[in-house]
Amino acid sequence: MGENFLSLDDIVLSHERLPIRTECRFPRLGFLEKSSDSQDIPEVVLKKRRVLSVELPKVYREGWRTVFNADPNVVDLHKMGPYYYGLGSQMLHFDSPENPEIAQTLLQTFIGRFRRNMDSSQNAYNEDTSALVERLDCLEKALFTSGQSGLNSFQSWEKGQASQLTASSLVLNYRKRKITDLQP
Amino acid sequence: MDSSEVEFLAEKETVKIIPNFSLDRIYLIGGDLGPFNPGLPVDVPVWLALNLKQRQKCRIVPPAWMDVEKLEEMRELERKEDTFTPVPSPYYMELTKLLLNYASDNIPKADEIRTLVKDIWDTRIAKLRLSADSFISQLEAHAKLDNLTLMEINTIRAFLLDSLNCMYKLRSNLQPGSSKGQFTDY
Repeated sequence: MGENFLSLDDIVLSHERLPIRTECRFPRLGFLEKSSDSQDIPEVVLKKRRVLSVELPKVYREGWRTVFNADPNVVDLHKMGPYYYGLGSQMLHFDSPENPEIAQTLLQTFIGRFRRNMDSSQNAYNEDTSALVERLDCLEKALFTSGQSGLNSFQSWEKGQASQLTASSLVLNYRKRKITDLQP
Repeated sequence: MDSSEVEFLAEKETVKIIPNFSLDRIYLIGGDLGPFNPGLPVDVPVWLALNLKQRQKCRIVPPAWMDVEKLEEMRELERKEDTFTPVPSPYYMELTKLLLNYASDNIPKADEIRTLVKDIWDTRIAKLRLSADSFISQLEAHAKLDNLTLMEINTIRAFLLDSLNCMYKLRSNLQPGSSKGQFTDY
């Protein structure tokens, strides 16, 4: 995915910690030593530099990939790292031999979950959606919100509320004194 | 686009009314509106018809398609076909809502008509979702949908376009070396 330097989502997702192996010596950086054991460093430090090699987080590895290919709908993507798609796309920058399979799995997971996301976002009107949303990745949550907004706007139009003037929620939150309350 | 904007566009459609006043031809920017004589039907845009009705200056004649038998046939046809059938009017949903809210006394069997139109709408929306799902799951490049109305497109537009954007980004990951770009050294 294109990296947006100022995007909040990108900033948060690039702070996910990844296990790495250091390939060469870092002079005078005491806390990193040439070693083969894994240490966790936030991804924002790592880029394509032949200095470090990264191990894939287990969500993108062979075992989980077969789960995703079997049935993407049963997986709780929020638990697998709330930025499954975003982080997966960033991981493709580190040339791992499994890159084509990872990219394919990301795409197929999205497609597999699309139907259920569309149905739940377009049909859940005026109900508590937390049960529907809790298993969604952040990308899917944004899509869910846009689907809900389309549904809410249509339903409010159909009920005739679209042409009624209502107080804005911001004004209601200020809880200003109203003149009708002041006058006896 | 908001639903109210679609309703605004729908109000340009013409409908027949029977006025109870008389007025010469009026010349508006959008066109002329013919002389009004009491008891003689005349074609006017919906916005004017609703305004006159609210001032009790006319009686609205329901459009030819707003009839229980015709709508029942359309509903059965819609349920049988897999593709979208031609609609009675490109703004059938908005016209139903407007006319039945303001002029239900001029329209026979208003409640049944409302139910039938809602059934037709639900069937078409279900077909739209099905075709959106098959469009995405088969990774098609383009799709052709005939006989869709603006209101139906409007409900799904935001969601579908955002998902297609996400899918595009995920698909561009499959092309190796296309968008990886150069990185600044730290």
